[in-house]
Amino acid sequence: MSQTAAQRFLQDAAVKSADLVHREIIRRGMDSYDVAHLKGRARIKDWEAARQKCQEIKREAINHLDRYLLQFEEKVIARGGHVFWAANSEEACTYVKNLATRLGVRTVVKSKSMVTEEIQLSPVLEKAGIKVWETDLGEFIVQLREEPPYHIVTPAMHLNRGQIAKLFREKLDPAIDSDDPVYLMAAARRILRQAFFAAEMGISGANFLVADAGVIAISTNEGNGRLCTSVPRIHVVVTGIEKVIPRLEDLAVLWPVLATSGTGQGITTYGTLIGGPRRPGEVDGAEEFHVVLVDNGRSQLLADAEQREVLHCIRCGACLNICPVFRHVGGHTYGTTYPGPIGSVLTPHLNGIKEFKHLSYASSLCGACSSVCPVKIDLAHHLLQNRRNATEAGATSSSERLIFRAWRYAMLRPRMYALGGWSVRKALRIIYGLGLAGSILDPMRVWNRYRSPVPLPSESFRARWRKNLGAD
Amino acid sequence: MVQTKEAQTKEAPTENPSRDRILERIRAGLRTVVPEPPALRSGQVIFEPVNNPLERFQQECVGNLMECTLTADSAASARHLSKVLQSLPEGEAFVQEDPALRRLIELAAPARPIRWSSPSSSEGAPGEASQATVTLAEALIAQTGSILVTSSCGGRGASVIAPCHIVYATVAQLVPDLATALSRVSQERKLDSNSFACVISGSSRTADIEKILVQGAHGPRRLVVILQTAT
Amino acid sequence: MKRKVSLFVPCFVDQLLPEVAVDTVKVLRRIGCAVEFPEDQTCCGQPALNTGYWGDARPCAEHFVRVFKNADFVVCPSGSCVSVIRLFYPELLAHSSLREDAAALASRTFEFSEFLVKVAAVTQVGATFPHSVTYHASCHGLRELKLRDEPLQLLRQVDGLKLIEMVRSEECCGFGGTFAVKFADISAAMGTSKAESVAATGAEFVTATDPSCLMHLQGILGKRQAPTRTIYLASILAQDGLAQKSSAQERP
Repeated sequence: MSQTAAQRFLQDAAVKSADLVHREIIRRGMDSYDVAHLKGRARIKDWEAARQKCQEIKREAINHLDRYLLQFEEKVIARGGHVFWAANSEEACTYVKNLATRLGVRTVVKSKSMVTEEIQLSPVLEKAGIKVWETDLGEFIVQLREEPPYHIVTPAMHLNRGQIAKLFREKLDPAIDSDDPVYLMAAARRILRQAFFAAEMGISGANFLVADAGVIAISTNEGNGRLCTSVPRIHVVVTGIEKVIPRLEDLAVLWPVLATSGTGQGITTYGTLIGGPRRPGEVDGAEEFHVVLVDNGRSQLLADAEQREVLHCIRCGACLNICPVFRHVGGHTYGTTYPGPIGSVLTPHLNGIKEFKHLSYASSLCGACSSVCPVKIDLAHHLLQNRRNATEAGATSSSERLIFRAWRYAMLRPRMYALGGWSVRKALRIIYGLGLAGSILDPMRVWNRYRSPVPLPSESFRARWRKNLGAD
Repeated sequence: MVQTKEAQTKEAPTENPSRDRILERIRAGLRTVVPEPPALRSGQVIFEPVNNPLERFQQECVGNLMECTLTADSAASARHLSKVLQSLPEGEAFVQEDPALRRLIELAAPARPIRWSSPSSSEGAPGEASQATVTLAEALIAQTGSILVTSSCGGRGASVIAPCHIVYATVAQLVPDLATALSRVSQERKLDSNSFACVISGSSRTADIEKILVQGAHGPRRLVVILQTAT
Repeated sequence: MKRKVSLFVPCFVDQLLPEVAVDTVKVLRRIGCAVEFPEDQTCCGQPALNTGYWGDARPCAEHFVRVFKNADFVVCPSGSCVSVIRLFYPELLAHSSLREDAAALASRTFEFSEFLVKVAAVTQVGATFPHSVTYHASCHGLRELKLRDEPLQLLRQVDGLKLIEMVRSEECCGFGGTFAVKFADISAAMGTSKAESVAATGAEFVTATDPSCLMHLQGILGKRQAPTRTIYLASILAQDGLAQKSSAQERP
């Protein structure tokens, strides 16, 4: 009997919530992000104006998505590139696999792309006998561990250097004898360099698709994305259709805002723009350039007047970083490609509300995500809307529906409400008086598992008021 | 096994049946009208204006862990280039084919072998063994301490393959901010004549291990800007 | 002329934490307000709203609007309830005949500290509380009502009170309503982290604008047998140096 996603989530959340080592690693990582992020924001004169501008850019792009996608496509094709529109994961994977096998590709180097995670591209290529190398250091590490990325920006933030050194020793080179990050990076560089120069195909994502210039824009730091898109003779870009922006000049604000929100940097080391295969007269570059535009449920979100703005997401990771739930359960617990608040909001749209509504409920609705989103997506509000959508779709339990029906009945009748409250207190007093707090008879037993019981007052406020507080 | 490039006009619809279906779904979705809140007041200044581009560029270089050295003329630039090259391990340097760089290399007279960029041979791109690359830049951006390169600056690999990337630029190439640089790229249609451009703001780095900054990941560990005041 | 305040008491305060409301009344009266308590009030609808049962929340909200329709000011000792009334009633009651009444009422509904500082323009309420206190910035008050400084302005005027800042004061305590039960492990973990931040200040008391946060935190602190006690903001301000017994929550 297989578990539902919700059951698995609760189980994993319970384990991670109690894992104090994990909590400490995440806390240290997030504390350092907090400091860097604030410093980064201080570099921008008017952060709120920057957020507003980014929101407007993405809104314009999404509200005219067809126009801008066509403009982008036309320019890429004019330069000799190919654009393939994939309705779903399967179509996207099939296209890339067929391309690779047709062109005799034996080795692929990949730079970070959450969309390739979403469509599960690597297993498809590997099954076709193609070796896939993740070249972003964090992705490389989790690939060796055979686990999904922990975070959309820093995939291996749940590991300490000792664990990474041990991993490298076991999977790469038994001579690895230090856990110094500089040493480990050098080891990864040595090994991956061979892959860069041997691979026939480089696969990248795209942070933005610039419509007026017809180029993809990639923001990176390591240089692996640069090498994947410079050395191999075939360059494939896998991207969501919603990554479009109208103009090249929009990057003047989007690049710093993405970097600030993602890592606290003023700008990432490399802001790469690629519009096609190498031109005649150019020294190097891919001979073939393919852009795979992935829909996979995104176009459906357009029709949702309330939640269309969820497509504005620039995948910066800021909402993950600030979310207290993420900080306590970590990225793997979500069990979805996209964790954190954006993942909780988006996944029901991509993968179904029945199976994934629990993520929208796994939040205290603190609103931190909304306050930090650089494109001003009101994520907390969308979580609430997902909850409403779940009940309206009949996706919640009938017992819960009945409970709220009864609750509503009582709340419309003040005397019944007062009596109900009095009865609950009376019952609890009896149960606690018998020493049964925490037992199966205790309606507050879940609460009392982690907390000392709430002291029970002898009377309610309204009773006190009626007795002796009414007079001014 | 290289596929010969076919003349591309338009994708035949039957090769990509989903294209029209996706476009139709997009258009259907956009028929739902979403109310738009008021737009940003015009003239709102998001970034602090850059008043002294040279000073700002040098400051940002320090923060970006880039080396920026001001030189008075090409002789001084050549001396600095020589100094940098001497500090590197043995191995060839790859240099962008350009008259200014030809002159600079001649003045510097480095001991190591030099390979020049060339579109016509496979030897015209930097290789795994290159210890350094030397290129020009399209512009320097003061706001972020960046250099803007395109494929015309020795190709795509020239700014990422070797452990040390040296940029030979002049103060006249400084622009105040990203907005100016990008607008110039648009106006001069640089992305029509180049398949690639990159805004580079430092040496390659990673913080993927415990969020500790490590300089020199897959790209260069050193980015050196020789900034000549006289053209 | 005395300001007339209609007190809205959240359901869990009414039933489990009556001292919160008693002290709220005390302070409002001390600053010269006439306080009434419309007894037909029940709940603002937050539990149903937050769980997604807007069809059940709606009649509850309409009942609230009817009960408080003629109030000059509605004051409530809870940022989360006030944020429901101000930020969500317009959406919830968009198609209700009470839509306009709701909008008008929303503009007259205030959380306790924002009423004191922004409406009554009072920060000095004659309180004495010679103890060290740390402040937890309850989420709904902070992010939805934009209360950043008002509670602190009030605390700074309390005679003898030593205010100690905690790290991550704006991080959620983990209560979140039914979240505390549905996702008990995560809620407890978040509460524990908050309890650790509180403990690191060494303060005798922790206060907030939402008594639900404090109820949750007191439970966590009690389980850890930590010395810090929770106390609602109004309960601090109600201390005028004359009372013999502090009205801080009793430990079981």
